[in-house]
Amino acid sequence: MTRYAMAIDLDRCMGCRACMEACKVENGTPKGSFWMYVFRLEEGTYPSSKLSFLPRPCMHCDNAPCVKVCPVGARYKREDGLVATDWARCIGCRYCEVACPYGVNNFNWSDPAEADYLDWNEAELPGDGESVIPPWRNPDLDEDSRPENRPIAGGGHSAGVIEKCTFCVQRLEKGLQPACVTNCPVDAFAFGDLDDPDSEVSRKLADKPSFRLLEEAGTEPRVYYVGDKHPEAEVHQVEAVEAKV
Amino acid sequence: MAQYIEQLPYEIGRPARTWRSRAGVLGAFVAVGLVAYILELTEGMGTTGLRNIGPMGGATWGLYITFVIYFVGTSFAGISVAALVRLFNIKALEPITRTAELLTVVTLMLAAMAIAADLGNPVRGILNLLIYARPQSPFFGTFTLVISGYLFASSVYLYLEMRRDAAICAGTPSKYQKLYRWLAAGYSDTPAERRRHRKAGLWLAVAIAPLLVTAHSTLGFVFGLQVGRPGWHSALQAPAFVILAGVSGVGLLAVMAWLFRNSLHERRLGDDVFGWLRNILGALLLIYLYFWVVDLVTALYQGDRAELTVTRAVLVGPYAWIYWASAACLIIPMLIIIVQKAKRSTAVAPLVVAGAMVQFAAIGKRFLIVVPSQTYGTLLPYGAGSYIPSWSEFAIAVGLIALGALMIGAYARVFPIIPLEDPRGSED
Repeated sequence: MTRYAMAIDLDRCMGCRACMEACKVENGTPKGSFWMYVFRLEEGTYPSSKLSFLPRPCMHCDNAPCVKVCPVGARYKREDGLVATDWARCIGCRYCEVACPYGVNNFNWSDPAEADYLDWNEAELPGDGESVIPPWRNPDLDEDSRPENRPIAGGGHSAGVIEKCTFCVQRLEKGLQPACVTNCPVDAFAFGDLDDPDSEVSRKLADKPSFRLLEEAGTEPRVYYVGDKHPEAEVHQVEAVEAKV
Repeated sequence: MAQYIEQLPYEIGRPARTWRSRAGVLGAFVAVGLVAYILELTEGMGTTGLRNIGPMGGATWGLYITFVIYFVGTSFAGISVAALVRLFNIKALEPITRTAELLTVVTLMLAAMAIAADLGNPVRGILNLLIYARPQSPFFGTFTLVISGYLFASSVYLYLEMRRDAAICAGTPSKYQKLYRWLAAGYSDTPAERRRHRKAGLWLAVAIAPLLVTAHSTLGFVFGLQVGRPGWHSALQAPAFVILAGVSGVGLLAVMAWLFRNSLHERRLGDDVFGWLRNILGALLLIYLYFWVVDLVTALYQGDRAELTVTRAVLVGPYAWIYWASAACLIIPMLIIIVQKAKRSTAVAPLVVAGAMVQFAAIGKRFLIVVPSQTYGTLLPYGAGSYIPSWSEFAIAVGLIALGALMIGAYARVFPIIPLEDPRGSED
């Protein structure tokens, strides 16, 4: 049985946020919705300050608070360890969002088609001279995911439902890595099967000491961090992304 | 069946210009709320001031959830009074049993509507909760015990207690005669029927009395079981919800009893009714203030940084005005009741003021439980967020309150809101 996990090397991460970009393109998430979020953190004040970066996908917890509280089982834990959201079943109560200590859930506050970054009908959009670039949407996102055959892939599906990081389940099905992992220019991510000792993630975790975020909450996250240490309470965010709808 | 009364009691069926104008005003508020809700349905919940926790720096639960808890809390009144009258045989409270039961049924309906306003997908919500309900979710109790069980049982109780008066009123020619006959459903107040009703009422009261604790506790569990939000995870959450529910429910009942006493000139709503309400409200307030202090000491004494951040935001931060106003709205009523007891005063007006004030405390305190833990309670370094309810949220909340007042007022226009005195005298 596969046990998916991710290891993020904080010594490598330079806070470029290319993973956030890749996630948005791959998963078609609406404006203001960040399934992957990279903290740029500052400890102390200039000139005696220290910068650090912390990418934050969904932790895909083994003891996920969001799965426990979902009243209809739209949020569920898969056998391979993914914490998935059946957006066709979600009733939009947002209990998962308040239960999650990591703040990874994103509610669609309006029709995702209208909450896009570009207005596709605008004439000034770069085009081939005759028409604007057609809006592109990843066709894989609208297919049910195996093995449960439930609609869990991708974002921007409908208003009034919760969506979050899926570890790019549509890519995993094809044997590919999540988009954030593939797009990282400095190879900060390692992704794979914990049960396979030769997988990238297993080797990374065997190599270096690791920690998980907010382990004291008992959520048993599947995302490990190596290099650096857990962010201290003294850090504050700089250059925060303005997430607005 | 003998004709008991010459005319329908409590000015039922007689023209009332003040009621019509008041109903018009309430109806206008309901209409504005309805417009806000339709906007929310068509435009999406972006019309609210709610936003995602995390990078978006918002609160995803806000005014709607605050009012869900407030409405469910207020429903405490009905079942507690019914239990006192039925199980402990406190006859003095009998004149307000129907007001209390009606308050329960109406506020639970309002709570269900507030939940619908909060859901991103209300239609799917109703269907999927029936098909896929999971008992592991603390919401399960809210939907089953509170909205279904509590509301259904209270409606049956209210109806059973109405049948006798319906039968009496059906004996008088009026435009509602058919309605009364239909409500009485064959009941003709024979001794055998009376005994059967007393028995059914008693057992129903026994069956729903545990809901007093369990139903209100489930709402506390919605918050108290969560470790991911500083300020929520506490064993005190459930009992405090039960007690504050009692405070707001009994307080509102005192206000309503006063309103009906004044508008209906009912001498049976006398000092002993208000005396009981004063005692119950005083006892519940005392317990709640004790919980409040315990909660405050625990929050301030511990060193946990995340907990302290939320506590600071509430005590001296942007939420301080709500906190201290709510504290005043609990302490002043407590003082009013203590002074009244000390002076053996039976004046109703101070009690009504106390009852009205605790409503604001109940709403304010619930807001403080729901919101600051989201905006200031992020465990990862997101920074402080903010939440200001939009006009549409206020419109829906006010519209729901107006709808409740309208339903209770309309009920009192067609049915005796105070159980009729037995024309044959009490035989048992």
